[in-house]
Amino acid sequence: MLTVRQVSRRYGETVALEGLSLEVPADTYMSLLGASGSGKTTLLRLIAGFEEPDAGQIALDGTRLDGKPPHQRDIGFVFQNFALFPHLSVAQNVAFGLRYRAANPLTDNEEIRARSEAALELVGLKGFGHRGIGAISGGQRQRVALARTLVCEPRIVLLDEPLGALDANLRARMCDELKAIRERLGVSFLHVTGSETEALTMGDRVAVLSGGRIVQADAPERLFAEPANAQAARHLNAWNIFDAGLCAGGGAGQLGVRFDQIDISAPGQAPGAHLRLPARFLAGEFNGPTALSFFRAADGSLLQVTDHLSQPRLPDLVEGQDYDLHFAPQTARQFPGAAR
Amino acid sequence: MESRILRPTLGLYAAAFLLFLYGPMIVLTILSFQGPEGGPQFPVQDWSLYWYKQLLGLSEASRVAQLPVGDSLLRSITLAFMTTVVSTVLGVMSAEAFRTRFKGSGPAFYLIILGMMVPGVLVGLGMALLSSTLGISRAWWGTSFVLHVVYTYPFAFLVMLAIFNRFDRTVEEAALSLGVSPAQTFRRVTFPIIFPGVLSAMLFSFTLSYDEFARTLFTAGRDLTLPLAIYGTFSVEIHPNIFAFGVLTTLFSFTLLVIYGLLMKRFTNRAARFAGQEDNG
Repeated sequence: MLTVRQVSRRYGETVALEGLSLEVPADTYMSLLGASGSGKTTLLRLIAGFEEPDAGQIALDGTRLDGKPPHQRDIGFVFQNFALFPHLSVAQNVAFGLRYRAANPLTDNEEIRARSEAALELVGLKGFGHRGIGAISGGQRQRVALARTLVCEPRIVLLDEPLGALDANLRARMCDELKAIRERLGVSFLHVTGSETEALTMGDRVAVLSGGRIVQADAPERLFAEPANAQAARHLNAWNIFDAGLCAGGGAGQLGVRFDQIDISAPGQAPGAHLRLPARFLAGEFNGPTALSFFRAADGSLLQVTDHLSQPRLPDLVEGQDYDLHFAPQTARQFPGAAR
Repeated sequence: MESRILRPTLGLYAAAFLLFLYGPMIVLTILSFQGPEGGPQFPVQDWSLYWYKQLLGLSEASRVAQLPVGDSLLRSITLAFMTTVVSTVLGVMSAEAFRTRFKGSGPAFYLIILGMMVPGVLVGLGMALLSSTLGISRAWWGTSFVLHVVYTYPFAFLVMLAIFNRFDRTVEEAALSLGVSPAQTFRRVTFPIIFPGVLSAMLFSFTLSYDEFARTLFTAGRDLTLPLAIYGTFSVEIHPNIFAFGVLTTLFSFTLLVIYGLLMKRFTNRAARFAGQEDNG
């Protein structure tokens, strides 16, 4: 189990991480969701030892990691740009760690070859060993990077936006494969991403990083259905968050309502039991299986409503007209604090 | 650029430029094939290899004394080799240091660069004064060697700085995360990737040191290096054997360049086969 306790990291005046705590249990696929610039890469670099925290502790299975040089930490790292060794072949890349590592390197060429081959087979690249790094595709490089890390049997694997450089089709396939590979090996993965779909698909647990700390860490279903606070909800890209005062009887603080749980009717036509929120229709956006409609509320905040193509429930909307958005009170989540 | 006038004009210009650039060398080469009775100027009396033979001591008794270049040539090559090794090692190490910002990196940078900026004659004179003050005897392998390093090290440093500037640090971090020690990471990852730069730094250091004159003039002491020895013969009388020697040293330098080119080609071919991931990622 990896434990990060009260870790802070500043770059001059900029605060990247502020008292961040996180636990990654053993044999878990954990995804870490954060916007770009939220410090998620910094966190990985601190865990890997490429940088040191200004304060706080990092421990793996009870042993302190911070202060140890990176090559003694036994942590795998998969880089966003893969960082393969350009002067070596695929097989040499995979064998690199086994051959040259400081702690019990392998000297038996036959064993190195067998283990590299097994690692390449694990990631579906059997027979690619002799190729050059330039002679394989982006998805294959991703697999080589993974094989190179896994063959050393690290105690935990950190993945820094590993699918960011791949196209959408490949990304979906690699998602499944990453999950399957991890389950076969039983080692924990900590996967950093800026995409909420990726985080929710991959993770057994999902942690949301915002404002330099973890605002929520939960099972993906629970996180999606019941975000604990406005910051977590905002990262899921599925929740409208607005000042509760906009709705008559909405109470204090902020309200969060999922895009797909809001209904629309002409002004004054909303069912009495529902909370009502007057807003002006701005524009619609069609993106395949779903359609998004954008509304502007009285205080200027932007609201989104999703409609599923197979089960349309919205009336025909005219741009620039006022409507009542309404939702059942129990679907809304109450967050403390003022609107952003 | 499909102009009917511009292209030929530019071509002509380039040809004239090259002629101007290599004119002296061409004249020297032609005159080196002067006959035994000819002097160091046109016209060429009759074509022969006489002066080459004379230079290598293969001719019968000659009216001209043999060039005293044998020992100085050996000295110059040794000195250039020593300078190359030391400057390149220093250049790589300091460029590596400049990859991270450290306190005083600005002044340190300019202090290093100063070595190639200050006038050679002044530094040479200064070194001569310093060595006589300190009671150190001047020698090509001592005082001159130090100045050659001071002069060529900034070039090696700048070449390596440019190489490290576009070096992808994550490959080193990848090696570290595989449990490979920093020393092994440098040897197995960093060095092979920066090797073309190291080769260029070596070439710079060698050629700059090989024909360095001003700094050597005051510091070489009794035993002369090649440029000093050649200059020394000028003060007596000039014979075409100097031209013959000039052609031979140029051929030697050219051989070095060819070796450099071949090594570079071999390396970049290999790199192209395993092309860098940033190009087509």
